[in-house]
Amino acid sequence: MNDNSHHDENFWKKYIFSTDHKVIGIQYGITALIFLFFGFSLMMIMRWQLAYPDTAVPFVGGLVKWLATLNGFASDGNLPSDLYNVFGAMHGTIMIFLGVVPLIVGAFGNYLVPLQIGAPDMAFPKLNMASYWVYFIGGIVMFISFFLPGGAANSGWTSYPPLSDIATIGQTYWLIGMVFLITSSLLGSMNIIVTIIQLRAEGMTWMRLPFFVWSQLVTSFLLVLAFPPLEAAGIFQLMDRVFGTSFFLPSGLVVGGEALNVSGGGSPLLWQHLFWFLAHPEVYVLILPGMGILAEIISNNTRKPIWGYRSLVYSAAFLGFMSFLVWAHHMFLTGMGQAMSMFFQTTTMIISVPSVIILTCFMLSLWGGSIRFNTPMLFALGWMPMFGIGGLTGLPLGLSTPDIHLHDTYYVIGHFHYVVAPGTIFAIFAGIYYWFPKITGKMLNERLGKTHFYFSFLFMNGVFWPMFIQGLAGVSRRLADGGASYAHAQGVLQYNEIMSYSAWLLAIAQLPFIYNLIITIRKKRQENPDPNPWNATTVEWTDTTSPPLGHGNFEKAPIVHRGPYEYSVPGETNDFTPQTQN
Amino acid sequence: MSDKNMSHHISNYRNVFIYLLIGTALTVGASYFDFNISNSMAGAIFVGLVIASIKGYLVAANFMHLNSEKKMILWILLLTVILLLPLLFIPVMWDINNMGNH
Amino acid sequence: MEIPYNVETRDDTGLYNAKLGIWLFLASEVMLFGGLFSAYILLRTGAPIWPPIGEYGSILHMLIETVPHATFNTIILILSSVTMVMAWVSLKQKDIKKYKVYLGITIVCAIVFLIVKYFEYSHKIHEGFIPSHDTYMALYFTLTGLHGLHIIGGIVVLAYLWGPGIKMWDSEPERFTNRIEVAGLYWHFVDLVWIFLFPTLYLLN
Repeated sequence: MNDNSHHDENFWKKYIFSTDHKVIGIQYGITALIFLFFGFSLMMIMRWQLAYPDTAVPFVGGLVKWLATLNGFASDGNLPSDLYNVFGAMHGTIMIFLGVVPLIVGAFGNYLVPLQIGAPDMAFPKLNMASYWVYFIGGIVMFISFFLPGGAANSGWTSYPPLSDIATIGQTYWLIGMVFLITSSLLGSMNIIVTIIQLRAEGMTWMRLPFFVWSQLVTSFLLVLAFPPLEAAGIFQLMDRVFGTSFFLPSGLVVGGEALNVSGGGSPLLWQHLFWFLAHPEVYVLILPGMGILAEIISNNTRKPIWGYRSLVYSAAFLGFMSFLVWAHHMFLTGMGQAMSMFFQTTTMIISVPSVIILTCFMLSLWGGSIRFNTPMLFALGWMPMFGIGGLTGLPLGLSTPDIHLHDTYYVIGHFHYVVAPGTIFAIFAGIYYWFPKITGKMLNERLGKTHFYFSFLFMNGVFWPMFIQGLAGVSRRLADGGASYAHAQGVLQYNEIMSYSAWLLAIAQLPFIYNLIITIRKKRQENPDPNPWNATTVEWTDTTSPPLGHGNFEKAPIVHRGPYEYSVPGETNDFTPQTQN
Repeated sequence: MSDKNMSHHISNYRNVFIYLLIGTALTVGASYFDFNISNSMAGAIFVGLVIASIKGYLVAANFMHLNSEKKMILWILLLTVILLLPLLFIPVMWDINNMGNH
Repeated sequence: MEIPYNVETRDDTGLYNAKLGIWLFLASEVMLFGGLFSAYILLRTGAPIWPPIGEYGSILHMLIETVPHATFNTIILILSSVTMVMAWVSLKQKDIKKYKVYLGITIVCAIVFLIVKYFEYSHKIHEGFIPSHDTYMALYFTLTGLHGLHIIGGIVVLAYLWGPGIKMWDSEPERFTNRIEVAGLYWHFVDLVWIFLFPTLYLLN
């Protein structure tokens, strides 16, 4: 690549259609954060309906009424149940596919992997740019679907047929949007794998890779191999909806009292198999990069090597492999035979082991450490019990017998939100606070950061803990009235108000973070910012400026001499020994 | 690459082409053959898939050069095939209550 | 700094970047067509009879009629695979003219395949055997249609490498040869999928 041209790059080539992985990483980051905010806003409106069913939503009631009317639903400023279903389906879809994954893989992965392995860029820079824009288009398609008659997709983020087959036009847009998002994901993950395998700097052997890079490698393999069956399923559902096929429509289906005029012979279970074949590995896609981020931060802020590096690596790889063999634990109630049930229960119990090993390694890493309680470390510390709760509450769900009682209740929502909300989001926040000075050359304000952490931690628990109580009482998920019309729910309805206030206070708790971002970005950068304010050992901190140099990242190619967590090495003057130090 | 190496490759490609044509003829022929067993359809399916697998192997090993490919690629493909098998077979085995003789 | 191993291979893996990239892509394609085949297996084993009987009856007699067309298509695609690898061989032998001939034949074979497919499709549709007719037709059109889209994509790429893309042969011949190898791998995969689709859809009924 000839470097002479980049000085004359125009605005479009430099910032919009850039092939530089750092610019693309930031593009992913900004877009994904906007979608996260949007997805969270949907939930805040839903939580009003759950706390005060069929009353007008304050502040945004006018907007809700306008949207409901546009979609063809009656509303006086309240959230009608049809629109509740739309918001529910799209909240899940947006948070997972437009928010978290683009952030942890597209933003963090793209930005940091080349830097941490000492590479000048990703292996395929143009493909990288393409994968961002395909993601962007997918996001636009999903966004536009809100304004269609009947609204956006409303059959849950899981889009089960037959309901999704006969749902309104928004579902077709969802499918088209997913095709774009899956394509973007495939292109991006192939790029990451080739980059990690082929572009490691001299001396960067496999066992000297930061755990963050390992986590991105395993995650990318999951994305490459698990997404295509969902793409196949999406194509089948599009065929059902657009060409009237019956891939998922069984014979004799009656809708609204009338037999459906289709050939039949299809299987709704087929969708569930193809969907969950992706969606289970997908949850490990959600958590693994976060674990990678935390390994960096914990080691750095305990001034010790991370405990059990090899265990972490083997656990991550084993976890990735096993994730393909557990999908039917989402389908325990579909009439599966005993042998199947036993098989999937067993694999599910086995897969909990590597997760526990990883959490344990992190906790053991604290022992004897010189812990620095800065904002990234606080989020890392807060993550541990949260992920522990999320993991433990998954156990009764993974066993088929208790799952009979708990399936499709609020218990499930509580479980997965503990792993995904404090699980992935705390890791993301930790990563943003940690790497912000590398990306911008400026540190985020610590006091605002700590405020952000403490209140987020408090209110996260306020939103999600009561869900276990409601779920154990039998309150089903996806009920627009929060269970109010069910006798068995009456004893736990009071938690709806508590959870809703916690959600709104959680939103307010994000204001210090947003304010922090704005004032720090607007602050003038110092002349020569410290490239390594955290005194870290990994290549992105030690061998390049903050922000890193334009095309190429490094003045000269780094040469690696040791592992990534050489903190407090006996006999050394400093309490950290960079990977590339001679 | 020297011409001598290439001519060895070229004759290999020609031979594989012939085997593939024979395989195609066999596949078509087998579909008309009445297997003299209780489930003739299963027999035809088995033979058809076996021949297709052999043809597929010939294409992959020779045209795609897998028989001389680097380990990294082979491992990735092995992983893919291993993960493919549950996807192909688990849904069909859904109703099994017991594995084994009891 | 330039991105290394675009052309030369990396010592420990023995690969250049694009070769690893295309095999990863093909791995994802294996899973994609695997998902499609999994659907076929599930829907077929769950059906009381196969092919199912729809509004216009059973597709069986028409299937038997189209076996010669599909067989011809199979042979054409196998031939195109041979000419594709010969195109790469020609570049290894530094013979750009032979390359153009072989690649040209490959593209022509692909177009012939599509033309035969077009006649197959229109004949079936004319008889009322559209995708919504029964699950066999749904699978047939979806699987062969997706395969056909892959053929079209391949034609676009190969046409580029036959036409405007050939300029790279003058400036970076080794990199261009690698491109043909990578495109060839994709093309062989498309042939491989057809090798399985052909008996599954046309013969095993």
